[in-house]
Amino acid sequence: MKTWKRFAHIDVGSVEQAADLLRRGNAALIAGGTDLLGGMRFEILPDYPELIVNLKTIPGLDYIREEGGGLRIGALTRLEDIARSATVRSRWTALADAAHRTATPHIREMGTIGGNICQLNRCWYFRIPDNRFHCVRKGGKTCYAMAGDNRYHSIFGALKSCLAVNPSDTAPALVALGASIRTNRRLVEAEKFWDMRVPGSTVLEPGEIVTAIEIPAPPAGAKSAFLKFAIRKSIDFPIVNCAVMVAGGEARVCLNAVHNRPWRATASEDVVRGKAIDEALADAAGAAAVAKALALPGDRNKWKIQIARTLVKRALLASA
Amino acid sequence: MTEEKKAGEVERGGISRRSFLRDAGLAAAVPAVAPIARAGEAPAPRTPAAPAGPAASEDSCDGPTMVQLTVNSGQYRCEVQPHWSLRQLLRDEIGLTSPKDWCGGLGACGSCTVILNGRPVLSCLTLACECHGAAVETAEGIANTKHPVIQAYIDYNAFQCGYCTPGFVCTAKALLDRNQNPTEADVRDALGGNLCRCATYQQHPPAVIAAAAELRRDRSRS
Ligand code: FES
Ligand code: FES
Repeated sequence: MKTWKRFAHIDVGSVEQAADLLRRGNAALIAGGTDLLGGMRFEILPDYPELIVNLKTIPGLDYIREEGGGLRIGALTRLEDIARSATVRSRWTALADAAHRTATPHIREMGTIGGNICQLNRCWYFRIPDNRFHCVRKGGKTCYAMAGDNRYHSIFGALKSCLAVNPSDTAPALVALGASIRTNRRLVEAEKFWDMRVPGSTVLEPGEIVTAIEIPAPPAGAKSAFLKFAIRKSIDFPIVNCAVMVAGGEARVCLNAVHNRPWRATASEDVVRGKAIDEALADAAGAAAVAKALALPGDRNKWKIQIARTLVKRALLASA
Repeated sequence: MTEEKKAGEVERGGISRRSFLRDAGLAAAVPAVAPIARAGEAPAPRTPAAPAGPAASEDSCDGPTMVQLTVNSGQYRCEVQPHWSLRQLLRDEIGLTSPKDWCGGLGACGSCTVILNGRPVLSCLTLACECHGAAVETAEGIANTKHPVIQAYIDYNAFQCGYCTPGFVCTAKALLDRNQNPTEADVRDALGGNLCRCATYQQHPPAVIAAAAELRRDRSRS
């Protein structure tokens, strides 16, 4: 069994203290730890943190609250608590379902919503032990998925030369529900929260830390849904997932695991705008979602296009 | 305490697999670390056991720290390195070998499951130094309290080689703690992170449902 190389560890009492330590040097934040510690054990990145900064000792970041009709979730809230929350399920169904379909029960008991949206992208070249492929996401020059086995990779092209996909299940739900991410510095619309960084997956700057998720009250009569295609019903990351919110002739549709960032399918939204959603319309919206999708040379990931199309259709029908 | 680490090992000669499963708790729960005198005392914040090194700020630790935790019914004070997993602490220091390694610490198999503060978690991906003040339950402790889930696993043959069983038992016990009357779907959902190479899957839901019924009977008797 591989054990971790040495590191130092500190429990912090405030977000500011954590931010300060992050700015000072080679440190990494830990909340649930399921993404961080797996990556560290296998030394997937060229740099190994010298210091792990434990956020779990900061009081007051673990809560689910209704505020002014909207929902506010502390960054340290466990995914399992979100999945089981009657409040979340009642009006933000897509998020409850997305949290419930994430990983395994154990990982949901450990993993937090803040960590889930900040997890690193998924790509087997990026994640291979001992940094055997020094790819663009690690400061190298090549995306090895471009000419390699890319059956799980982006169907909407590369972002900054990287084909890895964002694997979060909660991310598309947050985009569909119109959420924003509160950090110690600013409020970022969920849609603008993700980016291709080396090696990160978000727009967070050094010393910036997610503190809460803010989701507005859904419009009257809104319904939302989350669907996931994975090899197994539990444990697996999505091959493709999709979240949808439909209210008063408007829909918000977001796919994930199809691109470097969650992919808002505005073309599908245009198709259903102002119309009653039935089988034929949902099918057309699914087709619109993937009209610009492109299988990578060799067609290894072509299957994902059909899956994305079908998930958009089914998620729309589920929220109609 | 590192010198005494093997104190909790179980003598297995001549013990059948089933009686081992049933009795493991009794034997393996012998504390490898001297239990703390007064149980139930609130632990002070964990303290560095060695001066902080260059990478760390004044109050961080890059050397060993003392953590105080409850494991099953015993209280332990242990010196741990920052890079130790909870599984390492339980197995190599305290001597409780039920949390297994199967997937190599990827978080993909559930065979290292323990119950940490009421939640079923992966001890391979939990840092020992973050368990200060925690309450941990392992399969040994569950067997020790004669929890009906153990007998149910035996009655329903819900294992073959038994390697995955401690992880399943911990996960099932955590489910029964919060759900007195789980449906088959609830059980399948809760056990969705535990893999069994012997493919005993279909035996688990009836075993856990039987354990739930037994627990309800226990409650109505008392
Ligand atoms: S050893 Fe596989 S999940 Fe911990
Ligand atoms: S009983 Fe053999 S691995 Fe499950």
